[in-house]
Amino acid sequence: MSETEAIERETCDDNQASSVARRTFLKGLAGAGAAISLSSKVAWANGEIGFWAKDLTNEQLINMYTTIQRIRWYERTCVDKMLTEPGYRGYNHFYVGQEAVAAGVSAALRNVGGIMEADLVYSTHRPSGHAIAKGVDVRKMAAEYEFKATGLNKGYGGEMHIADKSVGFMGADGMIGPGYVIATGSAFAIRARGSKQVVVNYGGDGTYATPHFHSALNNAALLKLPFVYVLENNLYHQYAHYSYSCPMKDIASAAKTYGIPGVVVDGQDVFQVYNAAKEAVERARAGEGATLIEAKTYRYYNHWGAPGAKPDELGAFGYDPLAITSFRPEREVRAWMARDPVDISRSALISWKVLDRAKASAIEAAAKKEMVEAFAWADKQPFAKPEDGLKNVFVEGTVPARQFG
Amino acid sequence: MARKSFMYSVLEAVQYEMRQDKNMIWIFELTPPVASTPGKPVINLEKEFGRKRVVNTGIDENWMAGCVLGAGLAGSKAVTYIPYQGNCMCFQMLQNHAGKLRSMTGGDAEMPVVFILEMTGQTPGFAGQHSDYEIDTYYAHIPGLKTVIPSTPTDAKGMMVSAIRDPNPVAFLWADGLRSMIEDVPDEQYMTPLDKAAVRTEGTDITIVGSGGGMPEVLKATEQLQKAGMKVETIDLRSLKPMDTETLVTSVRKTKRLLTVDQSYYTLCPGAEVIARVAENVDGARYKRVAFPDAPPPAAPEMFLWMRPNATHIVDAAKKLVG
Repeated sequence: MSETEAIERETCDDNQASSVARRTFLKGLAGAGAAISLSSKVAWANGEIGFWAKDLTNEQLINMYTTIQRIRWYERTCVDKMLTEPGYRGYNHFYVGQEAVAAGVSAALRNVGGIMEADLVYSTHRPSGHAIAKGVDVRKMAAEYEFKATGLNKGYGGEMHIADKSVGFMGADGMIGPGYVIATGSAFAIRARGSKQVVVNYGGDGTYATPHFHSALNNAALLKLPFVYVLENNLYHQYAHYSYSCPMKDIASAAKTYGIPGVVVDGQDVFQVYNAAKEAVERARAGEGATLIEAKTYRYYNHWGAPGAKPDELGAFGYDPLAITSFRPEREVRAWMARDPVDISRSALISWKVLDRAKASAIEAAAKKEMVEAFAWADKQPFAKPEDGLKNVFVEGTVPARQFG
Repeated sequence: MARKSFMYSVLEAVQYEMRQDKNMIWIFELTPPVASTPGKPVINLEKEFGRKRVVNTGIDENWMAGCVLGAGLAGSKAVTYIPYQGNCMCFQMLQNHAGKLRSMTGGDAEMPVVFILEMTGQTPGFAGQHSDYEIDTYYAHIPGLKTVIPSTPTDAKGMMVSAIRDPNPVAFLWADGLRSMIEDVPDEQYMTPLDKAAVRTEGTDITIVGSGGGMPEVLKATEQLQKAGMKVETIDLRSLKPMDTETLVTSVRKTKRLLTVDQSYYTLCPGAEVIARVAENVDGARYKRVAFPDAPPPAAPEMFLWMRPNATHIVDAAKKLVG
């Protein structure tokens, strides 16, 4: 039995009782991200420990922490507006709790240069973390959330469709399925033209059940595409626990079927996410093919909007009128909040003496201020013109109005 | 008789049929088959019939549609509720299989199945994928697939009973914009035909034809026009396939003016088919179409609400046609 096989056996065993598995899993994650299928290039026998964060500059480390704080405060500002301002028109599928995933992945990506040079990210209906980490302008984003004419998509898209190709953020998607197949198409084009870019597709635990999951990974594996599937397993697709849609505890074990690396990583720890992402991205860029990363994570809010949340308090507990199939127990929410991505990254950087407490707090305060200002700017932006709804259907011209008969 | 929503009315119909027929199944994702209404028991199909017959699947509309079709071919009645514009993910199951198998087997295959296909409802702000009513014509175009689109809880219940008992596959279009509509609905099981339009008001000046999620605005416009002295005959299509040509033709022979109203896109909207059928059978009539422009619905309420056909648009178009 090789080392890899041993790891594989330990982490792929789906027959254990779930609570035991959960404890074992979290213990296992205290170390490096657990590789559970084919090992990638990292050679354990050669003394390479896979902790790539060790090579990062202080500036890069601080940037990761800053990104987490910026996502956190973009969203908390948005939650509070939804709860306290009756006239606020925006909505969100909140990402709070999952920030370390987007921050860790984007830290391993090239985020400038547009669609011909940047690494490309395909996002989901829960996009704000992915977008902010990729470098999307938060003021324009906040304006788009309110459907303003100067928003990121000029008011045509709203939260579920924000897109900014200048930083390689290919866009959010309100549907579950087609997005990841489309992402592999971009990866195919990149391989064909030899432009050394990498495509990252984000998807939730719910994506496993779709036929598109197989299509994306099968073709990415067959064609050795520069493709990284970051599966954020936050345990619930909408209002159903993922046990309703996936027969395995670790969705990453699906990678075995395709002969590509499948990695389970602690999605609350930005450095573990970075380690896994860096390997996957380098592998893809070197022409060695695709990787499936499963980040175990959790959202602190319900599927959509802010039911059960209170202004100025982190998290939503207990109440969601739509949660009929799987009701999230408050203790589960609080147990995950005890392993908060903000706290984990802050403590690590303080213990590494990259930051002191005062600097860490100052970064948080600056993030909060930036986001409050971004939403205030968005509030003042002009509304879309009604007749512009007939534009942007085709590249040229407008379509006729038909509503008047 | 009690006050019931769309969901309660339909689940009441399904619950009754599932109690009679122990083989019948229900497949859903994300939208639990649960409904309540004051003074009546909560309906929860999953709880009552168990997970052997009522399954919450993963997000896999392809399987949902394929599953009920396979169940039907094997002799079990089956219904699936496909939410959130996910139904086009499984279009092939309906278009190339459900619609054609009866014919391709020389009349042998029976498919007592119902595909409830949710049209997301025209909620401003959701944009493109989650705020349109576009799918009506897609399904009505398929031979061999009955396509119905009830606009009231009462019709929804009666048509669901008929759809379940029908040996043909039925696409049951669910206009989610009507989810908050509540009305008195009979408690007992009854059947509403799957091939008859409903004449909602009788008149001799103009025929206005609408369907599904567009009906509340059509009826609002009808009321305004009647107050202004116009004699309006308003027809709710209820079934897109088969389309009740006779009711349409009879009405326009009398009024000689036909206004169709659709919340779906202008090109090839149901109204286009209505006008074509009437034009083939009625001489000397005048026509007009109100529909959503051929553009994806934008998120911004300013744009979207301007584009969405409403009672004012319908009133103005009717006046132009009659005046």
